[in-house]
Amino acid sequence: MENFALSLENVEKYFPAGTSGWRGFVYPVSQLTVPALRGISFDVKKGETLAVVGANGAGKSTLLRILTTLLIPTRGRAQVCGFDVSRDPAKVRLQIGYHTGGDACFYSRLTARENLTLFAGLNNLSARSAAQRIKELTEPFHLGDLLDRQVRMLSTGNVHRLGLARAMMHRPSVLILDEPTRSLDPLAAADFRKFLLREIVGAHGTTMIFASHTLTEVEQLADKIAMLDGGRLVAWDTLHGIKSATRVSSLEESLEILTRHIARGKP
Amino acid sequence: MNDSLKLGITLRKLMLIFRRDFTVARSYRFAFVINLFQALFGTASFYFLSRFIASPTLQKSLPAGTNYFSFVLVGVAFFDYLSVALSTFDSSLQEARQNGTLENLLVTQTSLPVILAGSSLYPFAGMSLHTVVYLGWGALLFGFPLQGANWLGAVLVLAASILAFSGFGILSAAYLLVFKRGNPVNWAILGLSSVVGGMMYPVSVLPKWLQYVARLTPVTYSLEGMRAAILGHASLRELLPSIAGLFLFAAILLPVSFAIFSWALRRAKTTGTLTHF
Repeated sequence: MENFALSLENVEKYFPAGTSGWRGFVYPVSQLTVPALRGISFDVKKGETLAVVGANGAGKSTLLRILTTLLIPTRGRAQVCGFDVSRDPAKVRLQIGYHTGGDACFYSRLTARENLTLFAGLNNLSARSAAQRIKELTEPFHLGDLLDRQVRMLSTGNVHRLGLARAMMHRPSVLILDEPTRSLDPLAAADFRKFLLREIVGAHGTTMIFASHTLTEVEQLADKIAMLDGGRLVAWDTLHGIKSATRVSSLEESLEILTRHIARGKP
Repeated sequence: MNDSLKLGITLRKLMLIFRRDFTVARSYRFAFVINLFQALFGTASFYFLSRFIASPTLQKSLPAGTNYFSFVLVGVAFFDYLSVALSTFDSSLQEARQNGTLENLLVTQTSLPVILAGSSLYPFAGMSLHTVVYLGWGALLFGFPLQGANWLGAVLVLAASILAFSGFGILSAAYLLVFKRGNPVNWAILGLSSVVGGMMYPVSVLPKWLQYVARLTPVTYSLEGMRAAILGHASLRELLPSIAGLFLFAAILLPVSFAIFSWALRRAKTTGTLTHF
């Protein structure tokens, strides 16, 4: 188990059905009846990069949120570097860095440096270690000109680089990214992918799990691909393995074939 | 990690969050100036209102040597601590939800209660500055008596009040975690306290049964203690009943509110509504 950075065993997640009007008032705490994840099991080795793909509502973000301890699984076991997300959430958080593709995730009237220092402190880094770490990350993350500017003055691409730097401040073992290039234009997204490949996957050997709708991103970054559909894990393989199994040359076609098979009830 | 190291790290985190809020507030310089003058208008209104109020019952109920203006100024200035305590925890939660930082805060090595406690420091510090400005305008322009006040006693009453009021604030944040909008905890406590707590008039002018209700709200003890310390020049021994009452409220409310908040947090992580608003 210790060799795996991520280990999931039969993870299930159910949400309450939405209530509105008087029902919401009379039954404020509803039962968990809507399935979001069903029986998810997989392991990710240390240093591997896993892409999670699937249609909207497939359960990608729910899976990532369970791994970040923002959600508690209804059933099953999820571990990050050997620590259980439900029983040892604080130890799990020590192992992870998290970045979402949203661009409003900083204190916009603080400078980039003030934001990084704040989050470093909340991750138990001393002021000196935080300053040192910012210095280390400045060059690879191209933060030099940005550090002393208020975040509201930065471009979306720069905010993303800053978000990634924040996620890497405390040297996490596992980096979790939820649609990291969602709000970037195609050129900025391509640049960001190259940056991820060079600075995270290539340089640090950090385990990475990311959810994405961008298949170029998946092809460029992922060692393994997990495809979710309706909360179930319907495909789990390397890029090559998925293409071979579906006998096509592009990931897009492979996923189309898989989706058609699932629709016909043949996973 | 030993306990003293943990405490040191927690205090450093609280200061970091305080510095964050101070830096953000500093970036809105004009708002500070506006607040300064808002306090002046508030103080002036109470002064002119007090000139119309001449009731023998009221005069008898006021601390010796004071007037209604002093009484109401202390009442209003310190009642606002209850408003801050009730709103600071849930507004910091709401703000983090709205500016998208909540998830990033929650995946750090800092628990949500520490984040909320840190986020309450600046509002309380700001409130203290606001109170000093209120009393300062009162003393400078309208003869509010500052001489002879027991400031140490006032600080002790204030500290005990903040602890007691914070219990309600944490309950209010727990409500927000579960229900997202509308807050009957705030509404009920502020409403009840403003009627029976003795902000604008002494508790003794209330009907007997409401005086009993007043004894069940911490703001009553807070305002009595504060007026006794600042206007009545009471000694620490004389302030003891008010301080003890407030600590009793804190001893009951804080553990209960933390337990309810923990339940609400777990519930929000189970239902997936933690970052919804």
